[in-house]
Amino acid sequence: MEKLKLAVYWASSCGGCDIALVELGEHLLELAQLADIVFWPCATDGKYSDVEAMEDGSIDLTLFNGAIRTDHDRHLAELLRAKSRLLVAFGSCATEGCIPSLSNIRGAAYALQRASIDNLTSDNPDGIVPCAEYVVPEGKLSLPALESRVHTLQQIVPVDYSIPGCPPHHDQVWRAISQIIAGELPARGATIGADPRTVCDQCPRTRTGRIHVSRFLRVHEGEPAPDTCLLEQGYLCAGPATRAGCGALCIGANMPCRGCYGPPEGVADQGAALLGAVTAGLEAKSDGEIRAALESIADPVGTFYRFSLAASILHTLGSDGEGPNQSCVASQEDRP
Amino acid sequence: MTARPTQLDAHFAAEVMERPGGKHLLTCMACGTCASVCLVRRFYPSFNPRRVLHQASLGMREAVLSSPEIWLCSACDACYPRCPQEIHISEVMGALRDLAIEAGYEAPGPFPVVDSAVCSGCAVCARVCPYEAMAPARDEADPTRQTAHVDHTRCLHCGLCVAACPSGAISLEETNDQEILARVTADGWMEQRGLLSGGTQPRCLAFVCQWSIRSDAAWERAQRFGDQVRLVPLPCSGRVEPAMVLWALSRGVDAVLVVGCDDDECHYQRGTYIGRSKVYLLSEMLATMGYQQERVRFARQASADRYGLERHVQEMLATITTLTAPIAVTVD
Repeated sequence: MEKLKLAVYWASSCGGCDIALVELGEHLLELAQLADIVFWPCATDGKYSDVEAMEDGSIDLTLFNGAIRTDHDRHLAELLRAKSRLLVAFGSCATEGCIPSLSNIRGAAYALQRASIDNLTSDNPDGIVPCAEYVVPEGKLSLPALESRVHTLQQIVPVDYSIPGCPPHHDQVWRAISQIIAGELPARGATIGADPRTVCDQCPRTRTGRIHVSRFLRVHEGEPAPDTCLLEQGYLCAGPATRAGCGALCIGANMPCRGCYGPPEGVADQGAALLGAVTAGLEAKSDGEIRAALESIADPVGTFYRFSLAASILHTLGSDGEGPNQSCVASQEDRP
Repeated sequence: MTARPTQLDAHFAAEVMERPGGKHLLTCMACGTCASVCLVRRFYPSFNPRRVLHQASLGMREAVLSSPEIWLCSACDACYPRCPQEIHISEVMGALRDLAIEAGYEAPGPFPVVDSAVCSGCAVCARVCPYEAMAPARDEADPTRQTAHVDHTRCLHCGLCVAACPSGAISLEETNDQEILARVTADGWMEQRGLLSGGTQPRCLAFVCQWSIRSDAAWERAQRFGDQVRLVPLPCSGRVEPAMVLWALSRGVDAVLVVGCDDDECHYQRGTYIGRSKVYLLSEMLATMGYQQERVRFARQASADRYGLERHVQEMLATITTLTAPIAVTVD
């Protein structure tokens, strides 16, 4: 049998998805028997020009992780779409926007300003913000320019399958890859590498459904009891509105679920579903009590949409904010 | 219904009074105050707490226990503070239901139906239910899992569980998303243009708790806004679906108004507080996103405020016209 041609790419991501692949461990040897890695910037040597030179559809499978934040990400998404038979959105950034898309709340200009200048840990006395192009005596240097918004892969190019998770659990990754190799795939567009239902289905904690809370807690505000439902203890746990697949890992470490596997099947907006699940347990009998309880939720958008903002309905209501001023060309003479 | 002495059970009243909640049965002097304030009567005109109590005190055992009326009381307790005899009528109704269950009668429903293949047993429905009618328990098909179970003797079909379920695993006749959505979109209302979508008239979607509006006249008065306002009745403001609010806004509706009961007047005890907390959170999140939070509002409708609905709608429309269009972006 001819070996599969496999590509792995990272766009706007933290690198955790590549590590999730490395975590396949001995399965990597099996994978090497079944597939040739034709492109994987994190792990193998290769050039973009090599990919550009390939024939369309010549890569059997591309696992694409990371969100689309720069014009370069977009170019690679389009390029790999054209070259791949199966394009899989791999991990939360590619499927849902994940943490990078939280920057859409305030826009790219704010993100640049914040990261370069306003951060307490930034040591940038000249107030320099990255520019897309920079002229030095030796020639012109360029950086990928930020787009005004972070997108999911599906919002840029058609995607065949999605594997959720931040990062996807390596057991699920191997299951999904085996499924792909065996050709046992569901209808296009489906989510693979996940389990039915939500994290609560895999959570071993006791839930009574009879306990209400009048305020919510953040993880540093107490020590949760290990055996009972975190939501019933007041901790904001995203488990009820999060697709199962991780095996309730965080819960096992006595930490609430943060929601990285995205919404369960058939649910369009994870944050809206979680909002409904969280308010369900609220004990408040006046506007004052409700407001006081809700005040204990720091950053509702960041909490309810931590991993899924770019793919949410709420996101369609956000403004672009100020676009990044990156068309500038700076040179050394401009330096103060 | 005529009561013949042979059909009367001389011990029935005593039996009711021995039950928890039933002891004030014979205190009733049949003034009818309860019937005059009861919310149920707008939708079930035959419902009359006074008559039920009277029948029970006469010993009309079968008539009372087989009656669908004993299941209609939602324990909102609107009558309790007004009863000159201080009878806690909802508790007497509870005692009657207990006896009915023991006699083999069942509540008429409709009841929520849980799709156990989708349910994760997260207990969110159990937490939101005002009546402890939902509970996670061992799944019948797969004993290794927990799924939500519905106690038909407690459920009053308010629909709070349907809205709260984060997996969409619960359905309830007349109260499902598709049915509510059908009311929203009927007659092509979503295709009409409001101020945000190039039209000249504001367009507001109003989800209204059916119990908060005490008369058909009040409901009809609010119809005068015509197509500018789409009034969608909900069994409870707590039934409002956050995703549906966001969806409506994303489709260019100028504003979403949710009308629910005032403090201590909720037909389903805690529904209005659940509804408000959802709307307040949504509004706060819209503000974070740079969207005008005024476009989502919860209006408290006091029971004595007969012109409230009209006024809430009017105020929302007035608000819309003062707002400039947000820079909404459609994500492909």
